[in-house]
Amino acid sequence: MIKRSEMAGHRRMPDWVVTGCSVALLIVAWVVATEGGFVDDLFMPSPSSLWAGFTDLVEDGYKSRTIWEHAGLSLERVLAGFVTGAVAGTVVGLAMGYNRVIEACLAPFVEFLRPLPQLAYLVLLIVWFGIGETAQIVLLFLTAFPVSAIAAMDGVKSVSRQRMQVARSLGASNWQIFRFVVFPSALPEIFTGARLAIGVVYATLIAAEIIAGSTGLGWVILDAGRFLRSDYVFVGILAIGLMGLVLDYMLVAIEHRIVHWAGKY
Amino acid sequence: MQRESGKTDAPERRRSVVWSVLAQPRWLSALSVLGALAAWWAITAFAVVPAVLLPTPGEVVSATIDILRNGYRETTLWQNVGSTLWRCGAGFFLAVLTGVPLGLAMGYWPPIRAATNYIVQFMRPLPPLSYVILLIIWIGTDDRSKIVLLYLTAFPIVASSAMAGVRAVSQQRVQAARALGASEWQVFRYVILPSAMPLSFTGARIALAAAFSTVVAAELNAATDGLGWMVISASRFLRNDVIILGIILLGVLGVALSAIVLAVDRRVVHWRGIE
Amino acid sequence: MIDQIAGGMSRRMFVKTVAISGAALTAGLPTRALLAAGKAPDTIRVSYFLETKPTMIAKGEGWFDKLSGGKCAWTEAGSGAEINAAFAGKSVDIGLAIGSSPTASGISQRLPYELVGMVDNIGPAEEMVVRKAANIKSVNDFKGKKVATPFGSTSHFRLLGFLKVNNLTQKDVTVLDMKPDAQVAAWTRGDIDAAYVWSPAKSKMLDSGGELFTTNKDLDAKGYVIADLIVAGTEFSKTYPDALTGFLVAYRNALKMWQTKPDEAASIVAKQAGVSAEVAKRDMEEYDFVTFEKQLTAEWLGPPGKAGKFAEVLKRTADFLVEQKSIKSAPDLAAFQNGINTTFLAQAVKAAG
Repeated sequence: MIKRSEMAGHRRMPDWVVTGCSVALLIVAWVVATEGGFVDDLFMPSPSSLWAGFTDLVEDGYKSRTIWEHAGLSLERVLAGFVTGAVAGTVVGLAMGYNRVIEACLAPFVEFLRPLPQLAYLVLLIVWFGIGETAQIVLLFLTAFPVSAIAAMDGVKSVSRQRMQVARSLGASNWQIFRFVVFPSALPEIFTGARLAIGVVYATLIAAEIIAGSTGLGWVILDAGRFLRSDYVFVGILAIGLMGLVLDYMLVAIEHRIVHWAGKY
Repeated sequence: MQRESGKTDAPERRRSVVWSVLAQPRWLSALSVLGALAAWWAITAFAVVPAVLLPTPGEVVSATIDILRNGYRETTLWQNVGSTLWRCGAGFFLAVLTGVPLGLAMGYWPPIRAATNYIVQFMRPLPPLSYVILLIIWIGTDDRSKIVLLYLTAFPIVASSAMAGVRAVSQQRVQAARALGASEWQVFRYVILPSAMPLSFTGARIALAAAFSTVVAAELNAATDGLGWMVISASRFLRNDVIILGIILLGVLGVALSAIVLAVDRRVVHWRGIE
Repeated sequence: MIDQIAGGMSRRMFVKTVAISGAALTAGLPTRALLAAGKAPDTIRVSYFLETKPTMIAKGEGWFDKLSGGKCAWTEAGSGAEINAAFAGKSVDIGLAIGSSPTASGISQRLPYELVGMVDNIGPAEEMVVRKAANIKSVNDFKGKKVATPFGSTSHFRLLGFLKVNNLTQKDVTVLDMKPDAQVAAWTRGDIDAAYVWSPAKSKMLDSGGELFTTNKDLDAKGYVIADLIVAGTEFSKTYPDALTGFLVAYRNALKMWQTKPDEAASIVAKQAGVSAEVAKRDMEEYDFVTFEKQLTAEWLGPPGKAGKFAEVLKRTADFLVEQKSIKSAPDLAAFQNGINTTFLAQAVKAAG
């Protein structure tokens, strides 16, 4: 994005080489620490025991379900919670950014909800929504919603006032200003918000799967952690982390298609 | 658009005085909060949900008074609030101190981004609960493992927002500055940094909220005080009045914290939206 | 300078002696061995469960500190797994009231601790509660029902034992991992048909449309015994044997108090747990607090150097956990026998006379 650095780049290695080297360095450190006997298997599994744990999980599954079922269920929950939460949050956030009456009415709740630890109100969700998928998705929805709402609101608020004045003086209606000035300008922040939202939804996955668990990657990690099975815990963390990365890259790709003007105006 | 309601529009002036007072944001906010409290009262008064599960506002008030007077299980309320704030603040500030510089560097220098971004992006969506047990094994059960947990929650968010902030800087401006003969450092200091600040601050607010929302997870294990601990230990004994009190306190504290960050944001990034 | 330090020390010793006698007087017990206490640790890091049990008397009245000669640093544990993790990270010296299934998994994973005493035999205190409306009268009625229990707990172990003994699988019965408070919430909504759990969740469910489906006698007979235990880091017990003995004496005194003055005991426990004295008393009445003398017989932990039947319970528990894929492997019986060290328990009995 920053041209000067790219220009200076004729002497430097391509990015993927740097990333590769960094990954290789991490792996070497890990192998040396664990296989070299510096770190107990309980603290951090060695590559071989991690691999054994992985093949074990793939072949036999974990507690009456295959690992793919666990992963699939988690993915479904994350997507359901994220999509509903981000869409609703963005709509509400845009309205809050644009209209101060709406903002005044809703801001206390959005602000209250956002930093509220999910674990604190977990039981209330069970009371209200039962122990099925609904409660889990509602929890993830409630996590994504305020993040998206606040990002959208901030996006609207950071729209250049000059531009809005220009549009208004050119005779644009409120709706037109919103549609052609505010919304496009707020889009980059909305996308940043969406990425943050999927991050927090993902981070809340385990909390959601605490509700009457026995399925999902989050629950697998939690259950394996109870018996200090660090091999399964690490396999689970890697799987969850990689899934998160893939989702994030997908969002970035969508962002680049839609907000192609970011940083260019 | 503007939060300040100082300038009243012409049509508004014609409306009744009552309406114009009520239409002020703070009154509207207060009204809607009151509405929510009334709904809570109504739900319990008409027994929509069983009393075991949702206490009445009165029960929560008397639990509050009791805890203020006698404390909760040998801890005072202030001690619990203080411990939670300390853990959260320590984790958050460490994250800002390390995350913002790293994020800016990642945005500005591609090699640094290439070497570290995948780690940050990998960490970002990791559920804190997944590594709570590892942190206990690695670091132990004292405050350090709790602070590290909150740090690890906030850090990737702070770093990625700072990076996004740098990368969203208008290229025209960077080019203009360069054309005017600015050095690399000057471009960074006077163009990149100010433009990256709004997103960095948004990131900090979100990171603080994320750290705060992880506080119960942090205090789930081996804590002896803290609001999260209070809620968890009350839930083991099904003390719903204490749980609700805890939720309200956690929510209010969270709002207060983000209001503080917002105020700092306004002071520091006063150019937001008027560039 | 040296004189000053010596003077200071002897004064501290004096204060401690007075304190110990004071505590002993309250509990009506002699203190002989404790006055001979050797090296005392500055702090003893104790990871404990907040429960309605006599352990909370000794904690609340400060007996653990006085009789062990060290200052106890208390951290509350949410699960046995957490105590195991803390031992792995060497950040705890004593685990108080850790369940037998996490202990079995800890010994299997060679965590640096040994089993030094029992808090209680859980017996009927953890039991199956079934919803009256679900019409569960016999074992076969469990088919197609939803049963909740906190995974990894002693209750979970016994529930799975119940299924196995009755030739039920987890395909016949849906077993859900839920914390006690979540169970009460789900129960109130009618989302679960049964729960295997302890009080207060158990009594709440019994009060709202539940009844007991007694399993504990049958399961105890078949070897699915569950107990709450005291474990101590091996390094700690080697370095501070007297402190550990004192710690056990404190618990013994608390047990005596519960047996002789239950109402007073219940009110102290209630204050610690944040519940009413009646609730505390009712909860405590369900546990079988095995006396130290009985713990030292072959029936339970056995006398020093000769592990009792409880080693077999631990071994069976560990084998079961392997079957469940919870732990990788279980060592042979000898490892569990070696994991039990009742020297301090015997000392504590001797000290009390």
